[in-house]
Amino acid sequence: MACEAVRDRLVAFTAGRLGAGERAEVRRHLEGCAACRRAADAEGELSAALDRLPRVAAPGALRRRLEQLVTAASDESRGAGSAAGMASGEAPGSKEAPGAPAGASSRAADPGRPPAVGTRRWAWIPPLVSAFGSAALVLLVMRTPRPDAPLPESAPDALVSEALNDHLRVISSTHPLEIESGGIHQVKPWFTGRLEFAPRVAFSGDDEFPLLGGSVGYVRDRKAAVMIFKRRLHTVTLLVFPPEGLAWPRAKARSVGRLAVVEEAARGFNVLLWRDGGLAYALVSDVSPRDLELLAARLNPE
Amino acid sequence: MGRPPDASPVAPPPGRLVMTRHALGREALAHADALYNHARRLTGREADAEELVQETYVRALGAAHTFDGAYLKAWLFKIMRNVFVDLYRRGRHAPALSELDVIDGDAAHARASGEPSELARLPPIVAAEIEAALGTLSEEARTIILLDLEGFTETEVADVLACPLGTVKSRLSRARALLRERLKDYAPPPSAVSDDGRRGGA
Repeated sequence: MACEAVRDRLVAFTAGRLGAGERAEVRRHLEGCAACRRAADAEGELSAALDRLPRVAAPGALRRRLEQLVTAASDESRGAGSAAGMASGEAPGSKEAPGAPAGASSRAADPGRPPAVGTRRWAWIPPLVSAFGSAALVLLVMRTPRPDAPLPESAPDALVSEALNDHLRVISSTHPLEIESGGIHQVKPWFTGRLEFAPRVAFSGDDEFPLLGGSVGYVRDRKAAVMIFKRRLHTVTLLVFPPEGLAWPRAKARSVGRLAVVEEAARGFNVLLWRDGGLAYALVSDVSPRDLELLAARLNPE
Repeated sequence: MGRPPDASPVAPPPGRLVMTRHALGREALAHADALYNHARRLTGREADAEELVQETYVRALGAAHTFDGAYLKAWLFKIMRNVFVDLYRRGRHAPALSELDVIDGDAAHARASGEPSELARLPPIVAAEIEAALGTLSEEARTIILLDLEGFTETEVADVLACPLGTVKSRLSRARALLRERLKDYAPPPSAVSDDGRRGGA
């Protein structure tokens, strides 16, 4: 083995990652070559220095968010698995039909997700369909009463947790948008006929908070307009829904512009809630409350 | 209905068992520390690192059906690499200058493989100095050193970076040579080092 070839193997050699044959070859070369021995020592020394770098664990809040993502994604694919008629007693989706990738089947099955799987967290939430998803099936699901809906009464923090779950559904879904944004002038009219109210949203997104699009979701027992904004890489979900009969969080409101806004933090996410013009608004994201306030202010210009 | 038009075209071969999103997600959580650690060194900012890791999981869960079942950790690092590249290409962060690119190969490589004097012992260094020296490297150089440190084989590193195996080998030694150079900056000037390599004005 020539010096040049040996030099390229030294990192792997000193890290003990060479196969037996190559290792023996390098070792033989090193016995007879002082320059390469020094080079090997230098690599070993550098590796030892690098090994002294402290390893940092993922912060708790991040870990919790990741766990929620995983849980949300699992719920979604389980619901889809049932809808697709997966064998019971087996984790849905664990054995897909040949050629049918799990992701494709779960997404394709979304629109038909029946209320029978409604005990799962989001099974009753209208499906995440791509822009041309089956509207008829969406309506079918919407008209089916939620099997586990005992309300309209709700605990004060239920609204926060409800908004958060809607947000998790958005960020864990590959296709959270039913209408992609070409601006608010496309998104707003899209809700007409899909909701019993007209969401009043004056902000059409900008560089700091681009509007990605919207979909129809649920807050407790009622439909909600879901609009999705971005803040850098973070997703911000805006929910607009009628507030009648929902217990409003008791936390002290603070004013953001002309709004009285309630701020809550839950499971590592921040939620901003306010009421305006007979509708309730919720902003949910893992961005800072300050960022959410910025967006709230843009949504409600003075 | 059927498959949405924008579903990933990458499907596993027919007949192969597909890991469920749930199983993949649970297993992926075991790599959260390694991913975060890598992300932190890559971005140099904790908030960016968290963002990078979270987006990596979002994409991984969305693309669970494309995982070939081979080596999850490498697959996750590859996704994180892509997220990172996307971020930087969009110019949302100020990228570190690519110093590895500045190395036209010869100068640094000559140092790497070069004269015994260039391979003098490193000065005593503490972790913070190594971290700082790493931070002065280009993102490309830092990445390859860190992936190697993470225990990936050269073949796996080539897969994560989507580049040929030979490129990994040469880039790794260049990057390490560069790091060694930077670490020497922590040494006292040569005049202050006695012949036997000890510090001090002896």
